[in-house]
Amino acid sequence: MRSRYLRIGLALTAVAAVAMMVVALANSAGPVGSGTASATKATCGKGTGKKATGTPIKLGGIDMLIPGVDFTTIGKTANAYFQCVNDNGGVNGRPIKYTLYTEQLNPAQEAALARKLITSDKVVGVVGNTSFAECGTNWKYYKSKGYVVIGAGVQAECYSTPSFAEVNSGPRYSNVGAAQALIKAGAKKLAIASPDTISAYADGGPALVAKSHNIPVKIFPTHLPVTDATSQLLQMYQFAGDGGGILIDFTPDTAPAFMKAAEAQGIVDKVLWGSSTPIANTFMSGQFSPTFDGHLWIDNEFSNVDPKVGPDSALMFQILQKYTKIAPQAFAQMGFLDAKFAVNALLSIKGPITAKSYNAAVRNLKNQKSDILCKPFYVGNIPYHIPNNTNIIVDYKDKNVVVRTGCTDFQAVDKAIAQTRKWEKQFKLN
Amino acid sequence: MNHVLAFAIFGVDWQFLKPYIVIGLAFGGVYALSGVGLVVLYRATGVLNIAFGAIGAAGALIAYYIVNHTSWPHWLAYTICVVFGGLTNLAYGMIFGPAFSRRDALVKMMGTLGLALILLGLMAWRAPAGGAFARFLPLGTTQTRYTILGTSVSLTQLIALLLAFAITATVTAFLRFTKLGTAMRALADDREVTAMLGVPVRRVEAAAWFGSGLACGAAGLLLPDLLTSLDYSALTFLVISSLAAALIGRLRSLGATLAGGLAVGVAQAILSPYTSVSAYRSAAPFVLAIVALLYLSRHRVVTVSRAAG
Repeated sequence: MRSRYLRIGLALTAVAAVAMMVVALANSAGPVGSGTASATKATCGKGTGKKATGTPIKLGGIDMLIPGVDFTTIGKTANAYFQCVNDNGGVNGRPIKYTLYTEQLNPAQEAALARKLITSDKVVGVVGNTSFAECGTNWKYYKSKGYVVIGAGVQAECYSTPSFAEVNSGPRYSNVGAAQALIKAGAKKLAIASPDTISAYADGGPALVAKSHNIPVKIFPTHLPVTDATSQLLQMYQFAGDGGGILIDFTPDTAPAFMKAAEAQGIVDKVLWGSSTPIANTFMSGQFSPTFDGHLWIDNEFSNVDPKVGPDSALMFQILQKYTKIAPQAFAQMGFLDAKFAVNALLSIKGPITAKSYNAAVRNLKNQKSDILCKPFYVGNIPYHIPNNTNIIVDYKDKNVVVRTGCTDFQAVDKAIAQTRKWEKQFKLN
Repeated sequence: MNHVLAFAIFGVDWQFLKPYIVIGLAFGGVYALSGVGLVVLYRATGVLNIAFGAIGAAGALIAYYIVNHTSWPHWLAYTICVVFGGLTNLAYGMIFGPAFSRRDALVKMMGTLGLALILLGLMAWRAPAGGAFARFLPLGTTQTRYTILGTSVSLTQLIALLLAFAITATVTAFLRFTKLGTAMRALADDREVTAMLGVPVRRVEAAAWFGSGLACGAAGLLLPDLLTSLDYSALTFLVISSLAAALIGRLRSLGATLAGGLAVGVAQAILSPYTSVSAYRSAAPFVLAIVALLYLSRHRVVTVSRAAG
């Protein structure tokens, strides 16, 4: 009987030893984002590989979630980055606690959530915001409280007030880049569609590009969720005509309805297709390649979504895989960059981390390099921020997204773009 | 002549309108198909099933899952979508039908609203919309296209239209010439008398629930293809246009329901290219239903009597 217990004991010990060896081997590979940052390797924060255990630093954000548009991918990816930082020593040993609220395009709700974040939740910084309307609702409040939001913008106030520093160009300038590319490719007419809530701003830019080239242009504001994509597409095709340009500015929730309608109507190869950034991902190319191969001019505000582009891109893929179920895409790039720059600001603070010191550190951000961006990000003490003003043009090929043209300044349709490029040189911002 | 007439009515040429009419007829076919299902169920059970769209949407999501996440053949997925509609409707009818049978029509309808909300909640929970997860359920028949009267028409659009006619004709014949159909008509006239005459009421009602559910499943299969996206909320609200079609048929006439469905579909489609009115095209089903009801009741007299005091 005793020898039987002994045998069982030995067997359990052997199993435990093997399990410990497996765990040790797994740990030797290192967690995501750990190690020493270099030109070929990006880390989460300081990359210590140790969990942060100190008093949490509170950050928060607000993303819009309505039928047909889901911007929470941005906040969720930012949160994943913060989790990676927390698993790698946090901010000098302190973990980041990120609170993400969603809003339904309701100004009262947007205003309430901003106040809740700052006065009730007592976040030191606001990060990862994206909405059709939140910039317009809250910019004065953020300004009054001394906050600068690092986010991804959509509407005019995101790019014309001091309260926001957006990592993206936004739909207006992404559409400008796409319109430029379509005209360069030979489009003689341009039909443009955006969600009706942002159409005046988002479509105004590409309309100015078309007019500057004496090209007839027509705008089709679209109510979301789309219930008659085929009818609307037919209207756009009837205006643009064979060889004309059709520019669609929708998220991956909505754009597919138009692209499927184009396939069903057999007009994919009859016009030149332009788009803003959101459809530049392999989920979409997987759905629409090879039908759309060679027919797309998508303005991408970031580098191609590919882990081989550089260390930040590789790290983003690893973080998405480990901490989320989010597919790699432009919205994930936005969330990654939002969080990365917020952490850089936190790490630059000497002394106590407060709302005042964090937002001062955000304003001091300059020359923030990333392989996800054409030019370094910055904030600076300037009246408004449009740091992302250089984009690439991509297309689909064999289920992948491929680059048509590399980093190019988009046309300065607004005085603000020309002024921004002057400030960049004057203050050596990037 | 057609050109002149279309221009006189709509201020545009026939060529411009043709593709919108094709789209409208296809959608109208689906509305008519659903409307006929609603009318048959209402006539047999007195239930106006407003969960119709939600059941179709749930079936379509199941088919989407099978097509994209299993190696099962597509035809099986499509069959399951249609049969799911029939079985879900049948299950609701068998479980809740008897409890509601003696309640008035409004209470019966509110019961199906509960089913719609439960299904919507389940779909939002298990298949949330958003991010990079747009869903499609394209049918292979969409790739087959014909040119009819100079306009491109897909086989799916033709199927939607022809199916509406076929189902309307078949159901009309079924109600008129079969024993079960006669029993359904009798139930519509007087449930109590029909039961006393020995008609197996539960069995007849079960057939109505199942049959109308199949129509609902078929609509759920066709609509994502015509909409070019599988949006379960849009599919759920399909019931509004179908309800308008059924109201145009006064919840009795299958032929008028077919005509109403097609009219609603075409009206919505041809309004869409006109910027000044396109924002209001979603009101087209209600406007058409109201106009039809006013017209159909033009000879009725309302009698008001004063209580003897």
